[in-house]
Amino acid sequence: MSSDLKAIASTTGVSRIFRTGAHEVRALDNISFSLYEGKTLALVGESGSGKTTAARILLGLDTPTSGSVEILGQTLGTLKQEEMRLLRRQIQVVQQDPFSQLNRRHSVHRIIEGPLLAFNIGDKESRKEKIIELLEAVGLEKEHLRRRPHELSGGQCQRVAIARALALNPKIVVLDEAVSALDVSVRAQVLNLLRKLQQERGLTYLFITHDLGVAHYVADEIAVMFRGRIVERGSREDVFKKSKHHYTIGLLASVPLANPQSAKKINQLVQSLPSPAEGDACLYRTRCEVGLNRPDCKSTALALTTGTSTHSWLCHSPQGSL
Amino acid sequence: MGITIFAPIISPYDPNKVGVALPFAGPSFSHLMGSDDLGRDLLSRLLYGGRITVFIAIAATIIALIIGTLWGMVAGVQRGWIDEFLMRTADATMAIPQILFALVCISAVGASVISLPIVVGILLAPTTARMARTAVVVELASDYVVAAIATGVKKSTLIFSEVLPNIAPQLLVQLSINVAAAVMTEASLSFIGLGIQPPNASWGTLMLQGYAKLWNTYWFVLFPALAVTITILAFNAYGERIRILLDARKSSV
Amino acid sequence: MTNSLIVKNLSISVPSAKGRVAVVDDVSFEIPAGKKVAMVGESGSGKSLTAYALMRLIKDPVSIDAGDIYLNGREVLSLSNREFRLLRGKQISMIYQDPMSALNPIMRIGQQIIESIQLHSPLSKAAARKTAIELLDSVGIPEPESRMNSYPFEMSGGMLQRVVIAIALSGNPQVLIADEATTALDVTTQDRVLTLIDKLAAERGLSVLLITHDLGVAAQFSDEIMVMYAGKLVENGSVNEIFLKPAHPYTKALLDSRCDYTIDVNSPINSIAGQPPRPDNRPTGCVFSPRCAHVTEQCKTSVPPLIHSQGRLTACFRADELFRVERVN
Repeated sequence: MSSDLKAIASTTGVSRIFRTGAHEVRALDNISFSLYEGKTLALVGESGSGKTTAARILLGLDTPTSGSVEILGQTLGTLKQEEMRLLRRQIQVVQQDPFSQLNRRHSVHRIIEGPLLAFNIGDKESRKEKIIELLEAVGLEKEHLRRRPHELSGGQCQRVAIARALALNPKIVVLDEAVSALDVSVRAQVLNLLRKLQQERGLTYLFITHDLGVAHYVADEIAVMFRGRIVERGSREDVFKKSKHHYTIGLLASVPLANPQSAKKINQLVQSLPSPAEGDACLYRTRCEVGLNRPDCKSTALALTTGTSTHSWLCHSPQGSL
Repeated sequence: MGITIFAPIISPYDPNKVGVALPFAGPSFSHLMGSDDLGRDLLSRLLYGGRITVFIAIAATIIALIIGTLWGMVAGVQRGWIDEFLMRTADATMAIPQILFALVCISAVGASVISLPIVVGILLAPTTARMARTAVVVELASDYVVAAIATGVKKSTLIFSEVLPNIAPQLLVQLSINVAAAVMTEASLSFIGLGIQPPNASWGTLMLQGYAKLWNTYWFVLFPALAVTITILAFNAYGERIRILLDARKSSV
Repeated sequence: MTNSLIVKNLSISVPSAKGRVAVVDDVSFEIPAGKKVAMVGESGSGKSLTAYALMRLIKDPVSIDAGDIYLNGREVLSLSNREFRLLRGKQISMIYQDPMSALNPIMRIGQQIIESIQLHSPLSKAAARKTAIELLDSVGIPEPESRMNSYPFEMSGGMLQRVVIAIALSGNPQVLIADEATTALDVTTQDRVLTLIDKLAAERGLSVLLITHDLGVAAQFSDEIMVMYAGKLVENGSVNEIFLKPAHPYTKALLDSRCDYTIDVNSPINSIAGQPPRPDNRPTGCVFSPRCAHVTEQCKTSVPPLIHSQGRLTACFRADELFRVERVN
């Protein structure tokens, strides 16, 4: 991403290894990314890609096995508990499940008031004013204040979650599959809302999603993740029109478009996808037409290839190089 | 069915609540349930005894609730060795024979309306503790807890403001069941002489007094025994109803 | 062409504070033999319940109030439970969203497939085992023979769904219902599983009813589409007709509100204002009228029937005129 923009948060060489007994899972492997003020970074990946772990580490809900995380100039590992709590005002989260991320025993009023109470902000009246302001900003009404989550629809709950996330005027909002559980038409409403709020408040978004369509719409920069690594990163144009990594290409080809006349795939593959082979340099090799036959994909460690100032990838033989 | 089971529970209360001073010692003229060997009216004794039994049961349950909930919550929140230690202690307490425990405690402090609830309460606390711990652990894995932490909520606020309301319904069910158990335990202790001593009486004590003369004057034992049984059934039924209500609410969400 | 499945005037209701309310309202459709039909709708549209009704899995307090279902020419709602149980799995089969819950976690998958095979045909254990291995192979599971001994927890979501498909097809049904069967799968796995269903359907002459909220899946993997909204069937036609030239305002609005990588990123997405009605609060007249941009007085008072318009069935009074006016693109 262009260096004239200010990076307000970044991870550098972050790895996260989960050990259960003798078994080891490398959820993240040397991940580095930055969030630029007012921009949106989308982390795209399927299950096992590590995108959720990355989000949790950025939110300070998990600690990396190695590497560092910096938010607004502060390095997460060095902070004391209370310092971390104070930093949390700057980075908030909206999660996937609209209902379970809200306390079912609390009213909407109390839910949005939560962050304000945690930091002793204002008094009862001024808090209520702020809450109503937030409610209206997300498209809800005063009468929703006394309702409980189970009395609201999924879309409405998600709006409450967004209102809560904005209560402390954060600089960064992490959206962890925040629209994935919503119906198509509601998803559209919430995406519009998120964009509007970003423009009005200069918010920086980290958008975690498995949905390429959503990533395409929201992101200024997209990072494609596979098995704990960022295999390709770039602008919309780079990733969608000039894809280099074979996983990205495969991913794009798998997405069914709502146009029955879009070009049918040549490969009508039905076989179960093979798992990565342990010890392979490239974890995608076992599923890659190109990599299956290349010895370097098996044994030579991958280094980041930088194409342009925005576009980079992790591949020995990217698309277009044959 | 629930209502008819409740009625016998209510009736011992009514005379006491209305404040009708029933004669306690000495001969009386009304003997709906007969009279005992000292000429005391058994109905009155049953009603007063019920008051004592139920008071002890409820006091014990509340004590168990407070101790048990704190016990379980600390274990569930802290995890690690504290959790292990607290839970093993709970297991140990549950393994001690109740009568033995009561015997030791009561011989130390004496049986009274104060000591009995504490003793019975301690006996009941471990089950509440285990239940509370499991409930807390489950809740702490929820999304709303993640959201609370992310919004800077302090640990103490988290536990009491966010998690506790969510485990309250389960605790309520446990409460109901515990009252039933407490009634049983109190009655048993009094019956073997470790509980309420004469001239005061709880249902257990009444049964003890009547036991000696069981064959000729069966009514001594019959009525207190029936009272204990019906009370236990009623509270169990109440607990079930709460649990059903809870499940219905959860699944309709 | 014969119809594998004919549904006439199906209505399903649930209890509410206001008495029983309709969640599927007078729905009729046909699935020709060997065709793949997608039933598309958002939550609350009634699509899943319709599927359950086809399998006669509707239980108290949900009830089927009216309607006939003809499976291979035979009306099945009037059959006894025992009679229908013989058909379930043998003539009509269903797979669901979560393969983990569909399988017994403490039984090896081989055993589960064999059980299903033996339920529907009088094969010996050895013959059933051989058939099971063939089935596993046909659903794209590598090393099927050794996989027979795996437990569900040892397999990925995609693999489990394949096992579920194998079991569903073990009775050689004529109709397969897939209820959000790939929603929980990764998109790369989804692609393969749907292609698999496609291939198997073609090989076996299966009719497939694909229930999905994903417009892309519907567009790529079906021949015909049925659009459901708030318990009503609002549009029914071939996949090309519906996706390229939608006639019903809801269908058009739904297609316009999707977010895939072909839409314009510089403008807001065309969302539909408001939300679908709750079952206990359905509007009089056309069920979409409160949110429709083209609503008239008639729409608010009378329920539009399914009429033929522009080569498909649409439940909209203004279908013809809107169609002519709107086709500017």
